[in-house]
Amino acid sequence: MAKTFPLEIFTPERLFYWGDAELVICRTLSGEEGFMADHCWGCKLLDIGELWFRENDQKEYKLAAVSGGYIDIRDRILVFTDAAEWPEEIVTDRANEAVHRAEDWLAQHGIEDRDPDETAQHLRARKRAQNRLAVAAGGVKPRR
Amino acid sequence: MAASGLQDIKRRIKSVTSIEHITNAMKLVSAAKFRRAKATFENTQEYFHYVTESIDDIFNNVDEVPDKYLAGSREIKRTCYIPVTSNRGLAGSFNSNVIKETEQLMREDAEKPALACVGTRGRDYFAKRGYEILMDYHNPPEDVSFVETGDISKPIIARYDEKEIDRVVLVYTTFVSALEQRVTTKTLLPFEAKKNPDAVRINKQVEYEPGPEAVFNYLVPKYVEIMIYGAIVESATCEHAARRMAMENATDNARGMISDLGLFYNRARQAAITKEITEIVSGSEAQNG
Repeated sequence: MAKTFPLEIFTPERLFYWGDAELVICRTLSGEEGFMADHCWGCKLLDIGELWFRENDQKEYKLAAVSGGYIDIRDRILVFTDAAEWPEEIVTDRANEAVHRAEDWLAQHGIEDRDPDETAQHLRARKRAQNRLAVAAGGVKPRR
Repeated sequence: MAASGLQDIKRRIKSVTSIEHITNAMKLVSAAKFRRAKATFENTQEYFHYVTESIDDIFNNVDEVPDKYLAGSREIKRTCYIPVTSNRGLAGSFNSNVIKETEQLMREDAEKPALACVGTRGRDYFAKRGYEILMDYHNPPEDVSFVETGDISKPIIARYDEKEIDRVVLVYTTFVSALEQRVTTKTLLPFEAKKNPDAVRINKQVEYEPGPEAVFNYLVPKYVEIMIYGAIVESATCEHAARRMAMENATDNARGMISDLGLFYNRARQAAITKEITEIVSGSEAQNG
């Protein structure tokens, strides 16, 4: 049995999850990283991506979609994100629609005459929606 | 003559009664909405401190924090005020309190202030008086989500970054109790942070990724976004509480008026009867005499 640490995942709207976990894997700006108890402390920014964690004495991982935020690693681990969703909460139709909307916009606007801010916004929207679809389908690469 | 006076009073009683029905219904609706808004408000309020704690941690443990967002980093010329009002009236002095406070603050400024209005009430008021409104946000605050409030908070931060505005002040109503709400002002940017000498420096290596500056520059705008979101949610709670109070007072007043009018009506009716009897008696006496 691995050592556990208290894990809290919260968004500005709600406390998404709290409990004891053995391992958290999330996508930081420099790639996927896993965090366990009694390791180096840190404060890292997160990218839009999947968040996996394994609860105490469980074999199965739990999966959630998160969009940005940061992870604060201490004796406890704190994940703050703008929005977090469980796979079963995700409405795939809406996510599909969001992907199409963003792609339509990108197709309609040539690379030269795009407003950089707006482009970034649409790229982010597409990434968020794709991430939600991936999470709804059980993750890009299922873990066990 | 007396009969038409009675008619008038009767008509008034009827109209006041229907007003009483309306205000009473609005009171019940506001009470229900208030309970819902309060639940959301209490949920959001619980986790704010984590972000401020993280900011303080970095501030107290990293020697070189970027000063872009810190107080004293540049001269304050132009201030952007964010008055948080509601989209609907009939909430007592809820909106006018916020507006008055904002105007008071703006009078003290040397440079022409900018405004970012939340809620149509404030926007209409300031637009009519020729203030410069940078942006406004007027989605119904009942089921607002954090991502949606980014529509107003992100452009404000962008303008701060571009040095178009040098200070961001939030004017909103804080919830004290269901009977009391208070207008509060809060300076969001520049961020007031002081090195706290009592804070324990963490004797551990803390990894910041991509770097302490990047994390700090992420957290401070995030703090601003969260504060704006929190203010909108809190203000919605206060709006419903204020409306409930206003409608309760209106209902009480209407009931008082109905009972006064009832008294008047009975008195007038009695006077009419007495008058008629006197007329009959004096008429028959004249005949007899």
